[in-house]
Amino acid sequence: MTSSNIITEDDRYRTSTQFRLWSFTRDSLNAVRTTTNRLAADRVREAVRRAHEALSSADASDADLENPSRGVSAMPEREIDCLTVEEELRLVTFYCRQTLQLGDHLLFPTQVKTTAVQYIKRFYITNSLMTYDPATILRTALYFATKTENHYCKLTKFAEAIDKTRPEDVLASEFLLTQGLRFTFDVRHPFRALEGAVMEMNGIASGVIPYNTDVGERPQNMGRRVKTAHGKAREYLKTSALLTDVYFHYTPSQIMMATLLIADQELTHWYIASKIFLDDLAGHKILATLAECACMLQAIEPTVQAPPEERKAAGALSKKLKKCRNPEKIDLVALQRVKREGDGKVDEKIIKKRKLEREQSAKEGEDLFGPSLKNS
Amino acid sequence: MAVSPLVLPGAAEKGGPTAKSKLQSAAASSNGTPNAAQSSTEVNDVAEQMNEDEKAKYVKGKKLGEGTYANVYLGHISSSPSSLVAIKKIKVQQQYTEGMAPDAIRELKFLQELSHPNIISLISVFSSKDQNINLVLEFLPMGDLEMLIKDTSGVRYGMADIKAWMGMLSRAVWFCHENFVLHRDIKPNNLLIAADGEVKLADFGLARSFSDPYRLMTSTVITIWYRPPELLFGARQYSGAVDVWSVGLVFAELVIRVPYLQGINEVDQIAKLCMGVGTPTEENWPGVSKLPDYTVPAPPSPVMGIDHYLSMFGTVGQEGVDLLMKMLIMDPRRRITARQVLEHGWWSSDPRATKNEDLPKKGGGESKVAEDLGRRPGMVDDERAGKVARKLDFGGMR
Ligand SMILES: Nc1ncnc2c1ncn2[C@@H]1O[C@H](COP(=O)(O)OP(=O)(O)OP(=O)(O)O)[C@@H](O)[C@H]1O
Repeated sequence: MTSSNIITEDDRYRTSTQFRLWSFTRDSLNAVRTTTNRLAADRVREAVRRAHEALSSADASDADLENPSRGVSAMPEREIDCLTVEEELRLVTFYCRQTLQLGDHLLFPTQVKTTAVQYIKRFYITNSLMTYDPATILRTALYFATKTENHYCKLTKFAEAIDKTRPEDVLASEFLLTQGLRFTFDVRHPFRALEGAVMEMNGIASGVIPYNTDVGERPQNMGRRVKTAHGKAREYLKTSALLTDVYFHYTPSQIMMATLLIADQELTHWYIASKIFLDDLAGHKILATLAECACMLQAIEPTVQAPPEERKAAGALSKKLKKCRNPEKIDLVALQRVKREGDGKVDEKIIKKRKLEREQSAKEGEDLFGPSLKNS
Repeated sequence: MAVSPLVLPGAAEKGGPTAKSKLQSAAASSNGTPNAAQSSTEVNDVAEQMNEDEKAKYVKGKKLGEGTYANVYLGHISSSPSSLVAIKKIKVQQQYTEGMAPDAIRELKFLQELSHPNIISLISVFSSKDQNINLVLEFLPMGDLEMLIKDTSGVRYGMADIKAWMGMLSRAVWFCHENFVLHRDIKPNNLLIAADGEVKLADFGLARSFSDPYRLMTSTVITIWYRPPELLFGARQYSGAVDVWSVGLVFAELVIRVPYLQGINEVDQIAKLCMGVGTPTEENWPGVSKLPDYTVPAPPSPVMGIDHYLSMFGTVGQEGVDLLMKMLIMDPRRRITARQVLEHGWWSSDPRATKNEDLPKKGGGESKVAEDLGRRPGMVDDERAGKVARKLDFGGMR
């Protein structure tokens, strides 16, 4: 028995759930998000209509007959202006930044913060902000990440450290979160790949590791440049890489290389060329992929704090969200109690109707997670 | 702690998440809780729907057994009643007030990622109506290695069988380590056996990843009989070497058919280790005395030499004993790695490992035993096994 079957980084990645379940082409990702957004918007409108009906029938049966329209007129306007896919995405980015800041405040390690942000991004592929409040989900995701990343934090302490948060608020959506994550909790980050590349470049710079001289001399001041590039790449990995969609479209090594390219194009290009032959079709394809990834990364500021314009836009969107939230999904703690304890009284007609709706959405949901094509 | 920086855009929600709008109250039923018809049957979220689809693929049958954090049921694929699965339903732990329990989280996290013939495979996961999480696992009906080891009167086996089982265990552990996962609870009863004889490493409730070598980890993992000295001494940074030690003790136990180092508590475990392997000292393990809980009984006993191992474990041959000794090297930095285990000469030396279909099974029955005896030399089956075994003539290996 020998272990000649060496597992490469790439083999490892290809068996991961991140690749199998959480990698998409841009089109397929957009299709899922569009469906999620549309279903949620339909349900918001319906829930509001139901609430209106409940209110008016309650008013009718009340002795409040002199003023039958009073209850209804106090309600928000019936035509509801729902968030678009684009708007949901921008708000998710904003709440992901909040998650990073909260993680900083609680002194959580990078691993916990970065995993929590990916949980949020994954969750909101099949769930809408209009259904589940991002401010709640982010607390749950951050707490859940402390558990999956082995950074134990007492729940009561966690809740105490955050404004207006009770332990039950954090736990009420834990199940929803795990379901939205399709019960996959492992997230592959590009940090380890970066450390590997930096170590190798340092080795080349100091002459410990020989390099392929066909690609020309080492870049000038290589040691110093590697150090600077390392720092800058890490900044991108801790911000833009988490906030954009790159985890859904590229492998950890591609993301890592793209951040290095942003940090020091010449150095990184030389490094890549010393490892892979680039002057053919395959080589061009690799460079094109990295360039695309870098371009996506640069679409979002590499800062934890949102820049002022982004902040302002998020404020407006957040106001809009408040007016189009599904009223049936606001009190998650109470909903959770009902789910856990069950409730015998179920209206048959509603079940039937829901079943139809379900079958409808099943059809729409079916292809969402079919074997997705990778564009890398 | 200072007030958190969780600034929500727009006006902060007054009164926190419990404040209700009129509309929201209207959406709830009269007693203030949402009406069940609107909640428990509301499954038209994309995420919920995907779960329903998954759940519908399996049928749950009778209960097979119960563990600390789960009940295990027999099940089958709905469209194919002969395709059996095990459905592990995670108990909602009432006394655990911090949500989903860590062992369940770990098991799910790692089994989702690891796919290898010698690691139990997770086929699917779904939740049932009361939010219980169900793991659909491959069905492993032939018990576990502990049953085989303990059934000294019903099950006989020899070096070639041990080699087969150890090979499968070693490949599983190598694969975990290759994927930066430490199992941290390797012992015979976590090694389940498939219908075709394949050994499967199970129970990842204590596993963790070790991608960050600088993070501190708890030292109170691994059932004490299989716990390596670095953990008994409270080391907070450790590596795959912890699993290799456990593998070594499973190896030893397969030969003598009782656990080799059976301490009754941690202190006693250290004493047993000093007697059975040797006392860890600065000479054989530089730095050991700096570990937080380092204490050893005086006087130190010498590190056991090859003669001791040959007399006790000689039934697995010179090469086998060499491998065992390397797995039980006290200094974790010098202990053999899982990869080196697979490169060891024992595997290619005679006798070759038994084929899966010929491996002894639990409750083999008399005729099977007799057949085994006729075909290849068996192991003696009582507690004195170790002492007697070396006298047996292992025809096959000479
Ligand atoms: N994949 C499987 N196929 C067949 N039976 C199984 C399978 N997994 C578990 N069982 C049966 O269910 C029982 C309980 O298993 P489980 O893994 O929950 O707990 P355990 O490992 O026995 O105990 P603990 O959880 O305390 O470590 C086992 O003893 C075994 O009999």
